[in-house]
Amino acid sequence: MKRRHFITGAFATTAALALGVSLYRPELEPVDAEDSHRALFAVLVPVLLDGALPRMSSPREAAINRTLDAISQTLTVLPQSQRDELELLLDGLENRLGVLVLTGSMTPLLLRSPEQLVVMLESWRDGFLEMQQQAYYGLRELIMASYYSCPEHWGTLHYSKPKI
Amino acid sequence: MPINDPIAEGLAAGWHHLDGSTMTEDVQLEADVVIIGSGAGGGTAADILSEAGLKVIVVEAGPLKSSSDFDMEERTAYPNLYQQAASMKTSDKAIGIFQGRAVGGSTTINWTTSIRTPEPTLEFWAAEKSVSGLSRNELDPWFEAMENKLSIREWALSPNANNDKLKQGCEQLGWEYTVIKRNVAACWNTGYCGMGCPVNAKQSMLVTTLPAMMTRGGTLLSRVKAVQIEHHKDRVFGIRAQALNEQLKPTGASVMLKGRHYILAGGAIHTPTLMMRSGVIDPYELLGKRTFLHPTLLSGALFDETISAHSGAPQSIYSDEFVWRDGAAGKPGYKLEVPPLHPVLLASKTIGYGRSHAELMEQFNQLQVTIALVRDGFHPKLEGGRLSVKADGSFSLDYPLTDTFWETARDAFASMAELQFAAGAQKVLPISEGMAMMGSWKQTRQAIADMSLAPLKTVVASAHVMGGCPLGEDRQLAMVDSHGRSHYLENLSVMDGSVFPSSLGANPQLTIYGMTARNATRLAGELLKTKSPA
Repeated sequence: MKRRHFITGAFATTAALALGVSLYRPELEPVDAEDSHRALFAVLVPVLLDGALPRMSSPREAAINRTLDAISQTLTVLPQSQRDELELLLDGLENRLGVLVLTGSMTPLLLRSPEQLVVMLESWRDGFLEMQQQAYYGLRELIMASYYSCPEHWGTLHYSKPKI
Repeated sequence: MPINDPIAEGLAAGWHHLDGSTMTEDVQLEADVVIIGSGAGGGTAADILSEAGLKVIVVEAGPLKSSSDFDMEERTAYPNLYQQAASMKTSDKAIGIFQGRAVGGSTTINWTTSIRTPEPTLEFWAAEKSVSGLSRNELDPWFEAMENKLSIREWALSPNANNDKLKQGCEQLGWEYTVIKRNVAACWNTGYCGMGCPVNAKQSMLVTTLPAMMTRGGTLLSRVKAVQIEHHKDRVFGIRAQALNEQLKPTGASVMLKGRHYILAGGAIHTPTLMMRSGVIDPYELLGKRTFLHPTLLSGALFDETISAHSGAPQSIYSDEFVWRDGAAGKPGYKLEVPPLHPVLLASKTIGYGRSHAELMEQFNQLQVTIALVRDGFHPKLEGGRLSVKADGSFSLDYPLTDTFWETARDAFASMAELQFAAGAQKVLPISEGMAMMGSWKQTRQAIADMSLAPLKTVVASAHVMGGCPLGEDRQLAMVDSHGRSHYLENLSVMDGSVFPSSLGANPQLTIYGMTARNATRLAGELLKTKSPA
């Protein structure tokens, strides 16, 4: 199942058309492969990027979708060993036993509130289990790198590359 | 203003370049010398050997990219030009390692800092590691020659604000600092050296020695990965390689490389890994041991004025105040420098997420970052890491961050914070979990004294991989002699940072240039003596 616009993509597109602009203009190559972890990232991205994402709903959802595309793109350039490790983690977070082992609860991540996800991330971050720490740092780095790799997300940084 | 692309021009003029991604059939290539790796060692060796009239093939696993490809964006540069898309890490994920993987190796993406090998390092090698003939007096003519060749000169412009804060802090505290020499010509001072120089000002191997080699008729293979050294008794009789596609996966085509002599210059991870994978004789089990990283700590500081740490020459000032304070073999010291900041680099090498992280990112242009590079491989309790070859032929690097390292890290965090406050910082943030922005040196000093330091929780990075195939005259300590010649395979040399018996306590590119110039010149003389007339 392809879910390029997991979060109310239709609404974002409609709003953009109404404004006469395209809020969502991916510059990266589209990812053709089935993107089975998109739903999982779609609940993690707003938590990890809280404060960085736009507040208005349309640009916010465009930024989330852009980041989800960038995550897919980032995954394709990682070496196979890292992709395998990440795949293992993501698969674990998508099945009940894995979620129980990693988070101490069987509640799927997709059903958790942002506050509950923060509690989970903090427990990993402060935890002593290497597996949980690596999960936290791995997901954090992947999401941060993917978001800030997109020039359209540099507005609040006041960063731009020089014109040569 | 249009910018010439010397690589595109050279290819159009008929340089011999084979791109593995276009190879559909197995091939065998022959030359006087086969060089594996196109970075500081491989590029320098290729230039000297081809200038001497020897036929050279240079083999690079990464792609051939040039200024036309360098768009000054991290999302392009990291996948195209860095090992593992700049996500390479030690096996426990505690140290992120930046290393080049493209034609020109790390010289294509480094920050141009050029420092002659510190004398205490060379003295330590001579006294403890059986290295001969590598005193500063003996090396200085080679450094001078390479400095002339690569336009290595003291940076004459004012440092950017990021570097200037390092300078100001040193001045305030009476600490030593030095203006850095850089390998640039007609530099535009933009600050994007780490993403490939877009204007060909950086005198990397990509635009200097490798074009010179190809202009003399040498051959460059890109996207071709050496996988096996074929050897018997005391000689190498070939190196087997794989052609790689654009995703750097094997195409199925193989390349057999034959030469009179072979030089390994793939860097301190890939040279030892190739030798181990090939079962090269190693009776004292030295290969891959003592791999050094200059493990590096980071300290952020907020200033009232604009810093714009992405803009301007990335590194133009360093301080050696703490590198040798307790002697070479004493408590490990650390070198103070600054990194350029770009969005992905800063976002991924800081701590936290959500609002606190977003607020830090919003202050991007007020943020100054100082780094402390720890001198590893001298103290007996900071002996570096260990490479091993996995079942699939790839490598893993275990690097224990010892108590000795963390003691040094605590000192380094304190020095960086003291320096940043002395330079006028409003707030300082040691980049480690549990720390927050603090507004006074007194408060920060106490917090650093009490802070918890641990793998993963404390951000540790490296841009200098060294060791794993040491040089020296004693076979119990060294795989190659002091000229880089194998102790066991008579037609094999190693010319890259893997030959360092310890880290350097300085950025490595100029050491590799100088040592390789010396060793390749001698090798050329020896090969010419036995070269049959054409």
